[in-house]
Amino acid sequence: MAVSVAAEWSAIANRYYRKQEIYRMAWHNVELSGHKVACARFGGMIAIIRDDTKIVRLRSEPARPKLLIFRSSGLLVASITWDRPGGRLIAMGWSDEEILHCVMQDGSVFRYDVHGKLLPDKVWFGQECWDQGIMECIIWGNGIVCLTEANAVFCIPDLGSPQFVKLAQLTLEDPPHCMAIIEPQHTVSGSVEVLLAVESTVMVVDGGSIQDQGTTIGPLGKMVASPNGSYVACFTHDGRLLVVTSDFSKTISEFDTQSALPPEQLIWCGMDSVLLYSDDSVLMVGPYGDWTKYTYDEPVVLIPECDGVRILSNTFMEFLQRVPDTTVSIFSIGSTSPGAMLYDAYDHFAKRNAKADESIRMVGSSIPDAVEACIDAAGQEFRMELQDTLMRAAVYGRTFCRRFSKTRIRETCKTLRILNGVRDPNVGIPLTLQQLKVLTLPVLIERLVNEHKHLLAIRMSEYMGLSPETVVVHWAGAMITAATSVPDPELCNLLLEKLKMYSVSYAAIAAHAYRNGRRTLAALLLEHEPRSSEQVPLLTSMGEEEKALGKAIKSGDTDLVYFTLFHLWQKKSPSEFTRAVQDKPLARNLFIAYARQNEPDVLKKFFASIGQLHRVGELLLWEAWAQSKNPVTRQGSPLQGPRIRLIEEAQRLFSHSKEHDFEAKACDEQARLLKIQQELEAKTGKAIFVDTSVSDTIRTCIVLKNHREAQRIRVEFKVVPDKRFYWLKVLALAYIKDWDALEKFSKERRPPVGFKPFVEACLQEGQTSEALKYIQKLSDPEEKAEAYAQAGMAKEAAEVAAQAKDSEILGRLKLTFGQSTTAAALFDSIRDRLSLQGG
Amino acid sequence: MAQLPPLENAPINLIGLRKEAQLDLVEALDSMRGRKLLVLDPKLSGPLTLIVQISLLKEHGVENLSHLSGDPIQSDCTNVIYIVRPHLTLMKLIAAQIQHDKRNQQERQYSLYFMPRRSTACEKVLEAEGVHGGITFGEYRMFPIPFDDDVLSLEHELVLKELQVDGDPTSLWDLALTINNLQSRFGLIPNVKGKGDAAKKVFSIMKKMQEEQALTTPEGQPEIDTLILLDRQVDLVTPMCSQLTYEGLVDEFLNINNGCVELDPAILGGDKKVKVPLNSSDKLYRDLRDLNFGVVGGILREKAASMKQDYTDVKTTNQEFSDLKKFVKKMHALPEMTRHIDISQYLTTFTRKRSFMSRLIMEQTLVEGQEYDICYEYIEEMINKQEPLISVLRLLVILSVTNNGLQKKHFDYFRFVELLQSYGWENLFFINDLERAGLLRKQESKSNWLTLKRGLRLVVSDTDDSNPKDISYAFSGYAPLSIRLVQHALHASGWRGIEDMMKLLPGATFEERQVKNRVKFKREKEKKSSVDGRRALVLVVFIGGVTFAEISALRFLSAQESMKHDVIVLTTKLCNGTSFLQSLQTNPLGG
Repeated sequence: MAVSVAAEWSAIANRYYRKQEIYRMAWHNVELSGHKVACARFGGMIAIIRDDTKIVRLRSEPARPKLLIFRSSGLLVASITWDRPGGRLIAMGWSDEEILHCVMQDGSVFRYDVHGKLLPDKVWFGQECWDQGIMECIIWGNGIVCLTEANAVFCIPDLGSPQFVKLAQLTLEDPPHCMAIIEPQHTVSGSVEVLLAVESTVMVVDGGSIQDQGTTIGPLGKMVASPNGSYVACFTHDGRLLVVTSDFSKTISEFDTQSALPPEQLIWCGMDSVLLYSDDSVLMVGPYGDWTKYTYDEPVVLIPECDGVRILSNTFMEFLQRVPDTTVSIFSIGSTSPGAMLYDAYDHFAKRNAKADESIRMVGSSIPDAVEACIDAAGQEFRMELQDTLMRAAVYGRTFCRRFSKTRIRETCKTLRILNGVRDPNVGIPLTLQQLKVLTLPVLIERLVNEHKHLLAIRMSEYMGLSPETVVVHWAGAMITAATSVPDPELCNLLLEKLKMYSVSYAAIAAHAYRNGRRTLAALLLEHEPRSSEQVPLLTSMGEEEKALGKAIKSGDTDLVYFTLFHLWQKKSPSEFTRAVQDKPLARNLFIAYARQNEPDVLKKFFASIGQLHRVGELLLWEAWAQSKNPVTRQGSPLQGPRIRLIEEAQRLFSHSKEHDFEAKACDEQARLLKIQQELEAKTGKAIFVDTSVSDTIRTCIVLKNHREAQRIRVEFKVVPDKRFYWLKVLALAYIKDWDALEKFSKERRPPVGFKPFVEACLQEGQTSEALKYIQKLSDPEEKAEAYAQAGMAKEAAEVAAQAKDSEILGRLKLTFGQSTTAAALFDSIRDRLSLQGG
Repeated sequence: MAQLPPLENAPINLIGLRKEAQLDLVEALDSMRGRKLLVLDPKLSGPLTLIVQISLLKEHGVENLSHLSGDPIQSDCTNVIYIVRPHLTLMKLIAAQIQHDKRNQQERQYSLYFMPRRSTACEKVLEAEGVHGGITFGEYRMFPIPFDDDVLSLEHELVLKELQVDGDPTSLWDLALTINNLQSRFGLIPNVKGKGDAAKKVFSIMKKMQEEQALTTPEGQPEIDTLILLDRQVDLVTPMCSQLTYEGLVDEFLNINNGCVELDPAILGGDKKVKVPLNSSDKLYRDLRDLNFGVVGGILREKAASMKQDYTDVKTTNQEFSDLKKFVKKMHALPEMTRHIDISQYLTTFTRKRSFMSRLIMEQTLVEGQEYDICYEYIEEMINKQEPLISVLRLLVILSVTNNGLQKKHFDYFRFVELLQSYGWENLFFINDLERAGLLRKQESKSNWLTLKRGLRLVVSDTDDSNPKDISYAFSGYAPLSIRLVQHALHASGWRGIEDMMKLLPGATFEERQVKNRVKFKREKEKKSSVDGRRALVLVVFIGGVTFAEISALRFLSAQESMKHDVIVLTTKLCNGTSFLQSLQTNPLGG
């Protein structure tokens, strides 16, 4: 440590700034002048292409320009001959996803990934833009704004789904002096605001409106909004640099550059100073009008970062930043802050100098602050040996602390390892700690995998305890894309060997393989996917519907089965579909359940094609039944015709096989019944017969006193058994209270069902006196006693029961008559009598 | 609006479960801003009343609530949320409503929430009807609905039909997901036993799901110790028998729906129908529900008498305030007491009927399996009298199942001559479906019912109803087969002890252990021995429905001294023989 760290700082007012070289560029023969240069934020890629608008002396290079992509350290990643149509290249810029966007004069946008591969999707600014031609264009992390020759402003607000919109149209005769944007995340409306310097004022344009800020600070030669969008730095026509609030209501600071020529580049460094680049010198202006100047002997490009500015020249990459407070407190000359004391103490300690003890005593009780300061300062350093010394100082100090969080030191060490890892020229991402915090580790890892630094990415994921899945899946994808000549099984084994170590989505990898035309490989990989819900959709989209169907069935998830069924159905011919489904019961059942509701005709054909004619018959019957329930088709006898035809057709189908005799017979009977009912309705003029059962029809006839018809139906459907006919008739006669007819009927012949139905029918209608006639004829004493009881004749009931010597009945009878005490007493006395006899 | 069951005494945190269901519903409602119309699947509105109260719906902008039907939407709300089960027939209704709005140029926003999850087939129907694009879709996860401290139900009544008739096992997938969700809440259940093909399938789906997505279970001892999966196909006899417990009888004659019974003014007095919640928050009901109805009258009489005695004491003697206070407290139970006296009196009018008695005798004869001829005769007479079809079928099903099918001559005779001619030809579909579901069959081989009856002691005579010794009290002599299986499963030797019997019953049998990983398993085992005094919790899952009497029998089991288990029931539906058979009855216009 020969030279003091602070010797390299430059002071502006009370602040220190430092400019450190990060890389000596690895490239050769790159000349920034006369080229368009686009550098991605957060230490990302650099794209360079010859600027057609400038005259350049060609050395040994070809006449056609080349698009070159480098890492920040100057390592070449891709070199492609530029052959895009669309006129002049207006602007080039990287999005947050590290995709290079090249905006052409005609409004088309070409997109390249970091490897210089042109992305296929077409992005453009529309016909109107094409007609007018683009004049100027600004690209930010997630969008593009462009100004046409006709002074119209267009915008692609989201590069994720690149749809263009036209912003409010302003009518200008001359083009604006300059243009700037305030990014959507900083505006009130949440959409991008475009600032246009017109005459002496500034117009703010967004999706719906144009607002004249009514300021007179202009005409402005250059504008740029601060990183947080709340200020705008403006360069006026008379050479003053103004910082104003973003609504142009208030001027914060003013600085006279004494040069009327607008700078080539105007850029914010952090939040509080502004850089102007022109004529090989960078002028830095602080918030209070203090300034400093750096001169260069070659052209440079300024790249704004959230905590400073990177400066790129033909030979080096520098980082200019305000010196962090803790670093100042440790290294500023003559500092006596605890951090500085500890650092000093460690310095002595490392040199085995006894003064170390004295120094550490001077820190006293502020040791924890001192340790914290050293840790913090270590994090801010680019130079590894300085990081190392600071961390050692911190660890040295910690031994004097009672309690100091070990994790704080460990975490910083880990983060530093990450930072140093990516800063390595071979990776070339010169992030600061602050930038890493803003960018976040997962995004950094995503960037690494996009740049094909898989090994580093997975080591970092594992080191920092993140899931390696994204890295592994991307790696596998990249392998598949690259290994076009490796045969499928070999490649599959190659992949599996690594994939086995992690739990990853095989489906995602298989999908990638499929998109790359490696069908067989995709199928092989999918075999290893445990999640059916991932496996099945991919198999279907690969055209492997039948395999998908098999997997879906195995999963037990009926929704997946339906999903594949619908695909099959759409893609295959009916016969192919039938073949696929026929021998898979679950698929077949689900299809039938769906089709029964929604595609009855398809289902009929399906059944017919697999020779299940009886199922077709069932469907026809179902239709006939549905008609009977439908109020429209139900009304009026003539409409029964189609139903009968349906039923008869069903019968024909059922009779094809002997197994379905039963159904065939039922159909036959129903068709006949409907005809008879239709006749009956015509005869009686009452629409009460259709759709009742045979029994009901007979009963209705009896109720209507049409005994002849009742008899006719009974004969027609000779299966109606005697017993049932008796019950039907008895109940019907009782229902119409035709007691004479009932009695006559009882005497016709000895009823095959006995007299019980007569008794029950009368009692049901509350005709005790009629019932008595038949109770007497009952032969079974139990039935008789029960009947008496039901008729409310307790004494008779008891006596019959007594005759039958049945005490069980008596007990139950007693319960029935429970409420009446006299009856209860009666039963008790009889039972006593019984038990005496029995005993 | 009925009160939600309190669930405070549940052996696992059911209140939390219900709370989550509420939150999910609220989230669904809040997905649409402003006031909205909530259109519910008619089958869902009942169960949902056991999860949320109307006031909560109102707080979240539900202005109107209607049932999904064939009629167009009658509301000026521009936001409509449908919550439905993914049934194909309902989709046509929704499509019709949206199309109607379109024709009338009524602009509305539609959200459609499927319970428990989105269905490709349903969305296909909406697509075909041209309304798919205008709907925002969502899922309302299925939660088992807590009916009481120990009863959970999915209230999915079509499980039997979908599974056995249509061959669509979607409900098994849903059930497996539900059980896995319970496991992720209450811990991986170490012991799993199951009987029947559906049980086997559910467990295999559960395992497959865990394979695909690791189940995250809470740390520590699992709260549920044993899972018993029972396929209803294993025991189709029990639900067909008349339930003879108090709760069972109330359900048979008055129908308990969604934990409530609707009582006619004729029963309670007053001038309109009253909905009475029936759960353990009613202390008297909690004491009575599981008893054989035969003893309920006596207990009520006793309680009334003691109250009367208290009353006379209060009137005649000088009593301390504390005694008075006790008395007044007792008086609070008076409305409940009168209510149950009214209900049981009403039930007596049925149970005293000779027809009821003879039906019970018939059921008993059938499960005894000795004599079939008088049963055939009895059933024939029922048909002749045109007694309700379902009531006839309940007996026929017992006959068919215990006898391994009806003899061919009887089968054709009943099927054709009797049922179709008497009740109408359209029952052809019903009877075919019963046949597919294994409820009504042609006899093909000899029945092994008698062996089962003996081996599992299914008929236990001379029970003392007031002091029962066996689960057979719930059916006055018949021990429900399903519960007997649970009893054996919890026995030390498990089902291995009755291996021969298990083989005679349909479907696969399995007893397995689930372990997180080997190391943990060891530790759990050690732990277990140290906390031996704890009562283990058993989750009994009935796939296809369970009756109240069976639940009562389970409660009786767990109350036995020798039992070291508490039981909690999860069923796809709370049912009785009638609703069980009705679920197979179809209507050509949907359903």
